[in-house]
Amino acid sequence: MKMQILGAYSTKFGELWNVSPRTLAKEAMENALKASGLKATQIDALFVGNMLSGILGNQANLGSLLVEELGVQIPAFKIEGACASGGLALHNAINSLKAGQYKTVLVLGIEKMTDHSQDEITTALMAAGSDEERMAGATFPGVYALMAQAYMQKYKATEEDLAAVSVKNHYHGTLNSKAQFQFLVTVGDVMRSSKIADPLKLLDCSPISDGAAAVVITSGNVAKKVKKPIHIIASEVGTDTLSLHDRKSFTSLAAVIDASTKAYKKAGIKPSDIDVAEIHDCFSISEAIATEDLGFSKKGEGARDIAKGKRTLFKGDIICNPSGGLKSCGHPVGATGIKQIVEITEQLRGTAQKRQVKRARIGLTHNVGGSGAIAVIHILRS
Amino acid sequence: MVTSPVKLWRRQKNTSALIGKKGKILQWTLIRVPAKSFMDQAPYPVIIVKMQNGEHTIGQLVDWQEKDLVIGKEVVSVLRRLRTEEKEDVIYYNIKFKPL
Repeated sequence: MKMQILGAYSTKFGELWNVSPRTLAKEAMENALKASGLKATQIDALFVGNMLSGILGNQANLGSLLVEELGVQIPAFKIEGACASGGLALHNAINSLKAGQYKTVLVLGIEKMTDHSQDEITTALMAAGSDEERMAGATFPGVYALMAQAYMQKYKATEEDLAAVSVKNHYHGTLNSKAQFQFLVTVGDVMRSSKIADPLKLLDCSPISDGAAAVVITSGNVAKKVKKPIHIIASEVGTDTLSLHDRKSFTSLAAVIDASTKAYKKAGIKPSDIDVAEIHDCFSISEAIATEDLGFSKKGEGARDIAKGKRTLFKGDIICNPSGGLKSCGHPVGATGIKQIVEITEQLRGTAQKRQVKRARIGLTHNVGGSGAIAVIHILRS
Repeated sequence: MVTSPVKLWRRQKNTSALIGKKGKILQWTLIRVPAKSFMDQAPYPVIIVKMQNGEHTIGQLVDWQEKDLVIGKEVVSVLRRLRTEEKEDVIYYNIKFKPL
């Protein structure tokens, strides 16, 4: 069954104190609809990816709330999978089309985080971890720091190698008007930034952000009117233990390997066929490990390949995070998975302007929840 | 948010059996920006421990010095007050680790 993206839109990401979650969602949904050339009355259902509305905003029943903003009474669902909520919402939306239940649906990712203090956010995000991790006083930067320590020891990688991930993504962010941080950082800036959980420093970590993104997808024939429909050729999910310490490896995510292996097989392609990818770089170490798990780099070479420029716009082979990634574009957790789809859609349509990857034909999104307890991979083709 | 006393009571039934167990540090980090209830303990190390029976667990290291933060360092589980509670919370004791 053909699965096409008709319209895609992302709001600006950042500290959006003057905007409510409702307004943010409305902006994303209305503009995705506009881009698709469809009206709200032509949408069969709404899928919402969100993690923290219940914990931070005391607001459950998000599907019904946001369908109000759409102005139609259609079936609506909130899908939660920690920081992979956006990708997971899209996966479920695709399944509903495959089942034949709906033909055209809207998928929204949204998160409003900056209304709350840093310690409240740190606590809330640990809801994606395990009881043992919370009782140990671990935080998400802490859990990823444990992976970074293990990675650096095993592969003799340096903190400077990891810093190169942030340097690249900030460079890409300067080319994206929707990015939260549109300024350059140097390896020295990263190294001098304050420590969060050793060896990770502030500039190794993605920020706390507000933002929303939406896509309209269809399995029907309404797509004729759209000039450059983008095809979703694979949508796969993998899971792993909730706790890092229960896993065999601390330097690789089994959920990512599982989901991407299935996705490459479904799409009938190999990793080297990917032209552009949006990677879940919640921390610098995450992108280094991801590029290895996805088969872009050899095991242990991910960070060094990034430092060599192999993932950088205008000079690399497989370009990673042209949007600036989570690090520079921002990480409103529920919105991230959909923003990745919006970015790849723009890249494949050739409308990414200053950050356009030349001759981009096949793109991948890599969306991870928790410390790798869930991973969602999508592969898109022009 | 106040933690349910019932939840704590259910968990604590197994805690005493976990005291005095030895293991080695498999990986460590130093948490400098903690969650709210651990605020007054920062900075503190969080370690993954390989216990003598081969199982892995995660815990906080207490009574530590910088020289203890090495892979392979021997540690033992001890009972400690876990965190700073909110006013209406039950005071919670749990397993932590100290260097040997």
